[in-house]
Amino acid sequence: MRKMVVIATLAALLAAGTALAGESKTYGKGVASADTVKISDLMANPDAWVGKTIRVQGKAVGVCEHRGCWVNLASDVEGQTVRVKVKDGEIVFLPEMLGDMVLAEGVWTANKLDMEATKKVCESEAKKKGEKFDPNSVTSCKTLYQLSGTGAVATKN
Amino acid sequence: MRDFRKVCWTLHREIGFLVVGLTIVYAVSGIAVNHAHHWDANYARVSEPVRIEPTGAGPTAEVEPLVLERLGLERAQIKTTWRASPEVLQVFLEGGGYEVDLVTGEGARTGFRPRPVLFDLNFMHLNNGKGPWTVVADVYAGLLVVLALTGPLLVRGRKGLAGRGGVLMGLGIVLPLAYAVAMRAAR
Repeated sequence: MRKMVVIATLAALLAAGTALAGESKTYGKGVASADTVKISDLMANPDAWVGKTIRVQGKAVGVCEHRGCWVNLASDVEGQTVRVKVKDGEIVFLPEMLGDMVLAEGVWTANKLDMEATKKVCESEAKKKGEKFDPNSVTSCKTLYQLSGTGAVATKN
Repeated sequence: MRDFRKVCWTLHREIGFLVVGLTIVYAVSGIAVNHAHHWDANYARVSEPVRIEPTGAGPTAEVEPLVLERLGLERAQIKTTWRASPEVLQVFLEGGGYEVDLVTGEGARTGFRPRPVLFDLNFMHLNNGKGPWTVVADVYAGLLVVLALTGPLLVRGRKGLAGRGGVLMGLGIVLPLAYAVAMRAAR
């Protein structure tokens, strides 16, 4: 009996380890939709895609350090990224995916910020860049676009 | 009643042994993630400044090889690079990377590695893997309820429900109730 328990435990650990290994890692529901939208096309006319379920592809160049609740994907245009945001705890993006090619799926959303929220976002961005922030320099409200992600697949290059 | 108490004793004892490991997993991870705003409970991170001879903010195809050479990196070592802005190039490696200002040559090397043991404990506690672990976690929660319900019935008399045990149990119930009331009032 004791031997059986030990063997069963080792088998379970081995199975879990094997499942976690591999070159591709699926997050959440993975991806299913057929069409991949180029990030540069998406960002060229973001309002046209709002509410639609889409799939985007790009290198992971930023991951939420606190809860793994978002990943930034690089566009085919230098400096341009899109954020794939998932519900906290539902999907957790790991920092190991940084630099991997990621295919992500979800609903494209627009979050129109009021002036107060816009200033906060601008202040945070300035802080990250180490720049001085002047609230009076913000004159118009921002709209934040992001993919409300339902799943992703990260593949090592 | 004596038979019922005997069943409680048996359940409490056997389940108590069974959940020792899981309780330690959830308790240790619980403390770790309670303080997630103070530290990264999953990864040990390092960040140190680096400085290379500036390459200038030329085309990526030209500056990228120079940056890699000046950082002492072989192409085989890197996962990918990303021109985050006209002045900034990021280099991604397994377990970390570099961010370099092409104009000033200043930058940072960052690294991360999963904390031994704690990463795995948190993975289980937060049920990041979902799947079969959801069943394990649900069963464990159910067993805790059984432990909580059978515990107060184990001892009779002054140290039992009618005495000190009852007072302690009351305190344990009042604490979350009072907090819930205070939370609602503060909202």
